[in-house]
Amino acid sequence: MNCRSEVLEVTVEARQVEEAMLALLHTVLLHRSTGKFHYKKEGTYSIGTVGTRDIDCDFIDFTFVRVSSEELDRVIRKAVSEFKEALSNSGSDGMGQISLEFYQKKKSRWPFSDECIPWEVWSIKVNVVNLANEQERQICREKVGEKLGEKVINVVEVINRHEYLPKMPTQSEVDNVFDTSLKDVQPYLYKITYQITDTLGTSVGTTMRRLIKDTLAL
Amino acid sequence: MAHFDTEYQRLEASYSDSPPGEENLLMHVAEGSKSQWHHIENLDLFFQRVYNLHQKNGFTCMLLGEIFELVQLLFVVGFTVFLANCVDYDILFANKFVNHTNSFKVTLPDAFLPVDVCSAHIRDNTFVIFVLIISGVFWLHRFVKFIYNVCCYWEIRSFYIHALKMSMSELPYATWQEVQARIIEIQKEHQICIHKKELTELDIYHRILRFKNYMVAMVNKSLLPVRFRLPVLGECVFYTRGLKYNFELIFFWGPGSLFENEWSLKPEYKRGGNRLELADRLASRILWIGIANLLLCPVILVWQILYAFFSYTEVIKREPGSLGARCWSLYGRCYLRHFNELDHELMSRLSKGYKAASKYMNCFLSPLLMVVAKNVAFFAGSLLAVLIALTIYDEDVLAVEHVLSSITLLGVCITVCRSFIPDKLMVFCPEQLLRVILAHIHYMPDHWQGNAHRYETRDQFSQLFQYKAVFILEELLSPVVTPIILIFCLRRKSLEIIDFFRNFTVEVVGVGDTCSFAQMDIRQHGHPAWMSAGETEASIYQQAEDGKTELSLMHFAITNPQWQPPQETTHFIHQLKERVHREATAGPDARPLSLSESEPRSLVADMLAGPSTLAPVHFGCNSSLMNNAAAGINSAATGLRSLSPICSSLYLRGSLSAAHRAGGCSGRTMAGSGTDARTVSSGSSAWEGQLTSLVLSEYASTEMSIHALYMHELHKQQSRGEPSRHTWHRQESDESSDSIPDEVRSEPSARSLSFPRSHTFPTATSSPSAASASASATRGATVGQEWARSQSSSQRRHSGPAADQFGAGGRVARTSRMPMGGWAEDGTAASRHHEPLPEETSEDEAPPHIHKMT
Repeated sequence: MNCRSEVLEVTVEARQVEEAMLALLHTVLLHRSTGKFHYKKEGTYSIGTVGTRDIDCDFIDFTFVRVSSEELDRVIRKAVSEFKEALSNSGSDGMGQISLEFYQKKKSRWPFSDECIPWEVWSIKVNVVNLANEQERQICREKVGEKLGEKVINVVEVINRHEYLPKMPTQSEVDNVFDTSLKDVQPYLYKITYQITDTLGTSVGTTMRRLIKDTLAL
Repeated sequence: MAHFDTEYQRLEASYSDSPPGEENLLMHVAEGSKSQWHHIENLDLFFQRVYNLHQKNGFTCMLLGEIFELVQLLFVVGFTVFLANCVDYDILFANKFVNHTNSFKVTLPDAFLPVDVCSAHIRDNTFVIFVLIISGVFWLHRFVKFIYNVCCYWEIRSFYIHALKMSMSELPYATWQEVQARIIEIQKEHQICIHKKELTELDIYHRILRFKNYMVAMVNKSLLPVRFRLPVLGECVFYTRGLKYNFELIFFWGPGSLFENEWSLKPEYKRGGNRLELADRLASRILWIGIANLLLCPVILVWQILYAFFSYTEVIKREPGSLGARCWSLYGRCYLRHFNELDHELMSRLSKGYKAASKYMNCFLSPLLMVVAKNVAFFAGSLLAVLIALTIYDEDVLAVEHVLSSITLLGVCITVCRSFIPDKLMVFCPEQLLRVILAHIHYMPDHWQGNAHRYETRDQFSQLFQYKAVFILEELLSPVVTPIILIFCLRRKSLEIIDFFRNFTVEVVGVGDTCSFAQMDIRQHGHPAWMSAGETEASIYQQAEDGKTELSLMHFAITNPQWQPPQETTHFIHQLKERVHREATAGPDARPLSLSESEPRSLVADMLAGPSTLAPVHFGCNSSLMNNAAAGINSAATGLRSLSPICSSLYLRGSLSAAHRAGGCSGRTMAGSGTDARTVSSGSSAWEGQLTSLVLSEYASTEMSIHALYMHELHKQQSRGEPSRHTWHRQESDESSDSIPDEVRSEPSARSLSFPRSHTFPTATSSPSAASASASATRGATVGQEWARSQSSSQRRHSGPAADQFGAGGRVARTSRMPMGGWAEDGTAASRHHEPLPEETSEDEAPPHIHKMT
């Protein structure tokens, strides 16, 4: 696929899932968001400011920085809590994956719908463990904090590389690159999906679509 | 604007570039997406389409071609149904009388049945309805595909025009290498691939040929069940389009295939842990697909006939030789294909070899048939002559019943007979012809050399180069045979297949999962008997057979001179090129050759005009010289010397590609040089304007031919020095029912003794020792004859002293070559060359055993 993919793996306790996910997703989004664009004439624009905020975790010895946008936080929280629900309902050994995909839209001509082409995918694999006693929990609390710290450093290293980013759009095309629905911050278009235990094979729908596409292809 | 409700406050002083209150003065200029070509989602498909559009000579040509194909199909189906159901043949044959009022003439419309009768005919015939339904579905399928393609290729067209700055009218005259160079150029600007800043030629090839490379590798490692030993027919190859389609369906894109999408293998297949379970799953999938094939058999048959008709016009267009009696078989195309070789490259190579190949096959016309054919032709000819003479005398003879048809039949009969009577001017020289063929096809099992005159060799060659009638017959049989092969042969190999995909898939950044053989890494997959000794670290399981890695590498490096291979690979290429150049240059200085002395100018001119047509002369000369000068390694050298025109072409090409490269460095501007599509815009070169990239690619094929011959020669030498690896049979891998796991790499000795794999043609011999013994016995005698014959013939061609000179020259060349190869002492090598007979036999009797590689 013509897209970068990064994989992060964490092992946490059930009650830490939500915070760990929030920490990682927010860290990535912090670096993939800009201030709102204010377009001026002749294709120039100025960029608004973005505030940041420290969040202390309750179940992990960890503090992370996120964009201070309540709207964005609400969206992420919703996705994460859905993931957490699904994970606890799955009843299996508690493996799951949540992925944050940055994409851009490409307008295509009439017969086809707009394409969403991903350019970067962050996959966070979660492994949930059950701990027996309070002492172990305490150790886990510290360890997960350390681990998350490492992951955040990883994320920053990846982001610091000079790699492909969509070009800054003109006013008419801004919706193809950035999510402009939020009023205080403007992240790149993103999509959060999750998956409980890596199911083998692709779903029936995608297989059918591929089959049709392949038969049509020359 | 965000609200500052955190404890982090702005430090006003640190913002030197935007003073407080003036943030709005800091302006950014939107780049916009000036091009829509950045970051293309499916690059595999994209490059394939770019390549297809180039091969189909532009959008308009493709569009028109496809429309006509659709119309053609409608016409053929409609016309056939009409002929079968709506014509009253009794009227046409005048068995039935038509009563016209005014004349006795029968007109064509008289023979047509009325519409209602006609439609009743059709409605009654279930078979016709069945065919009509299938062809209707087929046509609809083509039509939808056509619409889809038009939309997709329209985009590619604008890519050519706007991004590559090539108009559709100049596209047919641009080489693929040029298009590719432009794609690489625009990657820097548009970033079609987001993983890397720059694309390489190899990346593009990998993407276009991802699955083809896998297929080539699987055929190379004889993993696919395409060779069979049948009770009556003996050993035969069965590989049809239907089978190929099923293989691809199972491995690459069908539901539940090994690949997740075009560019990545499913992760579970990359892990060795549950290989048995995966093999089970694959086996059951193959079973189901086999059963589906069996059930759909009649539909597939009709479909196939339609498809065969449909693609026939295309075949003729692509392959000039396809009008002849023979064609390169599908298996041959897989066996002869290099890794990373595009369709047009393979096609041009095979087409060049077509003439020599059919000549070679014609050498083997059966004398018995010839005698019969001569006599049949005689009788048929005399009858025909009488009939024609009578007709000339009085044309009423034609009106007698069946005279016209018998004249036609006799004519056909004579034509057929004539094809069995060899050309009087043809000389039986299979060894030379085989060398010429080798120069074009680049691959050949070891045991063919020196055995070209034997019927076994001919039979094996006919597996690559089959009669077209056989090809069509196989295609028609395919719907029945394919499910059998799938269910009974392929299913057994499922574990091997799983292992193959796990072991030979590498993930390349910016390309995805590719076949590791296609990386052409000498160290990973080199074969020690093919010049990569000392550099290769591959176990026997990992080595590509027939020197495929090495030859593919040379081929790719020669066709893409701009490509910058990795360090060790560069070393290998340079070393080999240097050797070939040295051999090539050594000749003319040492002593001028008789042949090129006599008419050097015309030869150079001819070679420039068309290397392939003249090649037989040179190579013929070469091989006779070879035998005279005590055979051996010097034959390549003498061959190259005799090819002084090719040498000059080598120089030409060397300097050209150097100039090309220099031009590339000195800032080639793509858009600026649009004046002549073919001109390589090399700034400072003296060749500018005269030598085009087309010429460059023509020399490339010649250069590759030389390299291929040279490598085969060296390989022959090397395997002589190393008789242990010289086993001319490779056990069919389905005889070892279990597969080769990773452990082979660490512990090859135990397995490899019972598993003698060699670099030779894969033959499904069940009792290798007996076969080889008998072969050696006959071969001893025939080699002797052959040697004597060639010696006498070469003496006839060249004067005595000249021959002596060659012998001496050859020896000198050999000693000078020793340090590079280092495989045999001079003395023993010389004695070997003078006494080829005992050497040959002893080799074959030696028990097959394989060197430990690790």
